Amino acid sequence: MIGIPTALLLGTVLLLLLLLMAARGSAVAREVSSRSDTPPFEEEAGLDLCPAEFVTRIFCPDDWEFVSRTRSRQLQVLFRRERKLVALVWVHQTSIAIRRIMREHTEATRQSHDLHFATETKLGLVYAELMLICGMLFLAIQAAGPQRVRGLAVYAGALSGRLAQAQQNFKTVTTGRQFHGAGSS
Amino acid sequence: MLSQSIWWASITLEVLLLARAIRGKLVFRYPVFYFYLSFIIFEDVISFLVFRWKPAFYSYTYWTTEFLCVLIGCGIVFEIYRVGLASFPGTARMARNILVVLFIVAAAKGLVAATNDPQWWLEAGTLELERTLRVMEAVCVAALVALFLFYSIPFGKNLRGILLGYGLFIGLRVITLTFFIGASDASRQFWGYIYSASYLIALGVWCVHLWSYEASPAPRHTIQIERQYQRVAAATQRRLHDARTYVAKAVGS
Repeated sequence: MIGIPTALLLGTVLLLLLLLMAARGSAVAREVSSRSDTPPFEEEAGLDLCPAEFVTRIFCPDDWEFVSRTRSRQLQVLFRRERKLVALVWVHQTSIAIRRIMREHTEATRQSHDLHFATETKLGLVYAELMLICGMLFLAIQAAGPQRVRGLAVYAGALSGRLAQAQQNFKTVTTGRQFHGAGSS
Repeated sequence: MLSQSIWWASITLEVLLLARAIRGKLVFRYPVFYFYLSFIIFEDVISFLVFRWKPAFYSYTYWTTEFLCVLIGCGIVFEIYRVGLASFPGTARMARNILVVLFIVAAAKGLVAATNDPQWWLEAGTLELERTLRVMEAVCVAALVALFLFYSIPFGKNLRGILLGYGLFIGLRVITLTFFIGASDASRQFWGYIYSASYLIALGVWCVHLWSYEASPAPRHTIQIERQYQRVAAATQRRLHDARTYVAKAVGS
């Protein structure tokens, strides 16, 4: 009834989760006992991260083009390495900030009596999506460098825009046909 | 010889755990867990006597008591949920919903599989049946652990030990049973040892964590948010949305 890969996968996932719990368990207990004055959940709290305008520079090709024009191989290698490092640090900090948002939320709501399953699931999915994006960004920067990541992001944005446009066109045509069909019958 | 050693070591640890629990009054705090442990001692004694005096009935006795163990094991999962989330009613509600969803999914899958292959229940061996039940337990324990991790639920040493030991036991059982069922006769002996050793490992974890009573760390401040859960959720949603916009803007998409 249950396939071999499924059973092995589930068993392994359980063992990994337990490993994570064993690693985090004592840390959580320490945290709880030492934190008597945890700041309350701040509804207006921001991300506390480097402004996006500055971060855009990391992914912007302008600096790279400038360095390329110097024709210094050493400088180019140094620039690429430094930029990649800065970009990776930024992704790491962003993922920490996102994790903090969720941690503050779970700590503020876990004792609440009226926790909503649907709302929590939705928040969990958005959180998972953001963490996935951070993970993918991390991998993409490692593999291709921040400049190419921007190119990829622009391409993905344009592609999703085209897809949305196509979907809109399809919807318009379908609605039009239905309207036409209803009119003729 | 090795299986005899594992058997005697298990019995010794079980008795030791029970003795410590009675002395430290842990029995009253985790009644289902200690009932499970007592039942296993009973199972060991009964199986030994039947094997000695009525070997023809050994297989029936073993599988009947093993099935009862699986059922009582479900009670341990419930006890972990009950004790661990006693101070977190909202999270307990989430856990209930998740377990209900998992149960519905499992029931639907079982129904579909039974419709496609009605002979499965008749043809499946006891090992396969045990594996199916253990997988179900593994899914429930994994869901609970994920929820505990997600909401950073603080644990006492005792409850953490019960969960770690039982989860480890279930996870290893699922893996070893899977390999055992598909193994050749030569490697079956090896997986048989691992199968027995998984319980010994769990007993080791329990001995370390349940040696004496240790109170669960209660969260220091009770957050007064009963009236404002929706506000907190809306603020989190806004902050996550801001984070997404920030990332998109930074990368330039």
